[in-house]
Amino acid sequence: MITQEKYRTRVKELLANNSVKMVIGYKQGSTADRRRPLFVRSFEEADELVLDSNCIGNLAGYLVTEGLLSDEKRVGIFLRPEGIRSINILAAESQLNTEQIIIFGFDTSGREVKALQGEQAGDFSGLIDSLKEKPPEKSSDALLYRIDQMNTEERFAFWKDEFSRCIKCYACRQACPMCYCRRCIVDSNQPQWINTSSHTLGNFEWNIVRAFHLAGRCVGCGNCDRACPVNIPLRFINARMAQEVFESFDHYAGTSQTQEPVLASFNKDDSETFIL
Amino acid sequence: MKIVDRHDEAPGVRTMKLEFQDRADHELFKITFRTGMFGLYGIYGEGESTFCVASPETRKDYIECTFRQSGRVTSALANADVGDLITFRGPYGNRFPIEDFYGKNLLFVSGGIALPPTRSVIWSCLDQREKFGRVTIVYGARTVADLVYKHELDEWQMRDDVELVLTVDPGGESPDWKHKVGFVPTVLEEAAPSPDNCIAVICGPPIMIKFTLISLKKLGFDEKNVYTTLENRMKCGVGKCGRCNVGSVYVCKEGPVFTAAEVARMPAADL
Amino acid sequence: MTRILFSDKLDNCIARWRAAGLTVFGPVKTDTLSSYAAIEQASDFDFESVLPDRSIKDLFFPQTEPMLRYTIKKRAIETEDFTPPNGKRIIFGARPCDASGLAIDDSLFGWDYKDEYWIQRRNESVIVSIACTKADDFCLCSSLNLAPDSSTGSDVLLRPLENNNGWVVEELTDRGREAFLAIAELLQDGSDPIAPIADVPEKFDLDTCVAWLQNPENFESKFWKEISMRCIGCGSCTYLCPTCHCFDIQDEGDTYSGIRRKNWDSCSFALFTMHTSGHNPRATQSARWRQRIMHKFNYFPGTFSVNSCSGCGRCSRQCPVDMGITETLQKISTLQP
Repeated sequence: MITQEKYRTRVKELLANNSVKMVIGYKQGSTADRRRPLFVRSFEEADELVLDSNCIGNLAGYLVTEGLLSDEKRVGIFLRPEGIRSINILAAESQLNTEQIIIFGFDTSGREVKALQGEQAGDFSGLIDSLKEKPPEKSSDALLYRIDQMNTEERFAFWKDEFSRCIKCYACRQACPMCYCRRCIVDSNQPQWINTSSHTLGNFEWNIVRAFHLAGRCVGCGNCDRACPVNIPLRFINARMAQEVFESFDHYAGTSQTQEPVLASFNKDDSETFIL
Repeated sequence: MKIVDRHDEAPGVRTMKLEFQDRADHELFKITFRTGMFGLYGIYGEGESTFCVASPETRKDYIECTFRQSGRVTSALANADVGDLITFRGPYGNRFPIEDFYGKNLLFVSGGIALPPTRSVIWSCLDQREKFGRVTIVYGARTVADLVYKHELDEWQMRDDVELVLTVDPGGESPDWKHKVGFVPTVLEEAAPSPDNCIAVICGPPIMIKFTLISLKKLGFDEKNVYTTLENRMKCGVGKCGRCNVGSVYVCKEGPVFTAAEVARMPAADL
Repeated sequence: MTRILFSDKLDNCIARWRAAGLTVFGPVKTDTLSSYAAIEQASDFDFESVLPDRSIKDLFFPQTEPMLRYTIKKRAIETEDFTPPNGKRIIFGARPCDASGLAIDDSLFGWDYKDEYWIQRRNESVIVSIACTKADDFCLCSSLNLAPDSSTGSDVLLRPLENNNGWVVEELTDRGREAFLAIAELLQDGSDPIAPIADVPEKFDLDTCVAWLQNPENFESKFWKEISMRCIGCGSCTYLCPTCHCFDIQDEGDTYSGIRRKNWDSCSFALFTMHTSGHNPRATQSARWRQRIMHKFNYFPGTFSVNSCSGCGRCSRQCPVDMGITETLQKISTLQP
């Protein structure tokens, strides 16, 4: 509650002196524990801001809404640490200018919602570095542990079964702050890289291509997983890719806005000879 | 259907002449086809693409269609050669009520790649020329190269029972261009055809239709005497897939031919 | 006196129906998802959930469906149509909102050109609905002139007994009567009290909403932009909706052979209406959300005299950004018409 009040006041301050045109935060949703995105442009809306442990969705994707930042005005946004990492990646990929973004950082890992120190993306580099130092937790989840124990065939069968529910709504893509392409590869049909049907092949093609596109970019915010209407545990695929990238390249997605994209940069010392 | 002839109209724009392979299909086409209807032309493995039947209802031995090569299906169609087989589903949709135009003056206004649907009406009327009054055609394209049916434009130009006004957008003229330079609605207003006893048929990109409707209103045309076709994206063509909806209208079933009065009742922002 | 089907007879019923050549479907719940699926025995049914995550539409209009197979030989094309898999079936335990959804889409798939896939499956299916005794915050049938015990679209309606040990049987159609003839001797006469139906409070006044939607001036109201600002265009509302029916047609294969398929599509997707020229009639997410609401409550009823919403609430229940029909219509009902 303290953090919520503090931020409400700060949002009003910024709105009052025209430092931001809008702040993207959370408000009460349709049930007691649901929070929904809120776009604050007035004091009345600022009073609707809610900040508690139920504020779980990563809002960073809204920043790349077509036209939002093109007037060069500033926009505020409520972000957890992984959301701040998303901002860094979006900046590194030239999708936004972090100077336009005022961050209301918060952490819900403790009992109380804690405000994070700083307002600019760069202010949080120490925090993100410290997160990187904490090795990715292996098998912290019972299902992930089970997947880890599987052999290749079992794992293939597991994912085939999970993907069999996929209905190709692409909610995972739409919910993902990293999926900002105006025309996704599944929407391109010359050639038709990926089948649009939700049969076994089409579902594998889509989900695996998406996993690769997110390798080294996924911050593990869980938006895809929560958006999936058929409850495919997508977070595990991306978490595993993040872990591989971390172990192979010491790459932790979103440490800074100048970070090189891991699968799109070349290093002549690369251990793989086929690259040369 | 078999491709029996094909030629390029403009960069990326091709006309194909198609003949039926199946007698029964052809007979059915002869009974059902009326000017204004459209079809879904396809190549197995690529899909289907929707465009109008560009040949008139007075010539039903074949189908002519004209399309711009831009997507997966139209590229495959463009690669098809004379003698190749393609699929045709249709004809679907409603039609221009040509009989209602008898005894009237006709004004055709068209832009760019939208001449094909207009051309179907034009020939349907010119093939029974005596039934109509004055015929005026205003046609424009972005550049001289983008004008389609150039050989027919020449033919219409030569006829003394057709008044043809050609124009290209400013900057689109070639050194030897002898016709107008300017946007279709502006040129139309200059030509100032009389709205008396006149039916107007306009086809073009949405933006051209929007401004041409304004020009026609200025010239005194009644919305009920102005016809247009809506070229919405379609997949099924039979009132199911939902893609072509504008307001409560299924363009594939209730259209594609509408009067300007009908279009005015549709939500403008969704056109 | 009413006719009662006691729960303990359900396994016998299933056996009878199967003997009569019917495949038995019903609400089924797994660790990951609940949906309508084929069942083997009574214990497979999930009658406890408010409603399955996936709508009944899946059984009549699957996400992907082959329409024809083509083979191209020298100067000849051979095609072979797929017909929907034959087979009579009984869907036992449908929710009344799902059954109503089927009736709504009957009007679309049955007008003008008849959709043979839909119609054949409909003709071969007996819908046995169970009146709802439970609802959640998202249910909204009562706001749409329907109710937890609506019989629209059902061949048989079952009303749960107060003791939760069976159902009172109301046969509604010949198809339903025929299916229940096979189990006639398993039914008993009785006067056991039925359980009260679920309380689904009315969430908005539909007539007020429709009047607002029908006013052309409101088409470009700034309301649309405000209400849909957080919409991410994922389209899962349309995919889980029992009445949304838009689809795409896609060829899969190569130059020699392949399959033409009918796949779901959604008005929420940016490319849905995009013209070849690049012009997009519904270029913004707000225009697309407006289309969805207008289509359901203004356009569709204008053509088919029924709303294209049966009040299941799935759109709101699973929306990743907590939007949905309920919130939109609730807000509209407070606006000046």
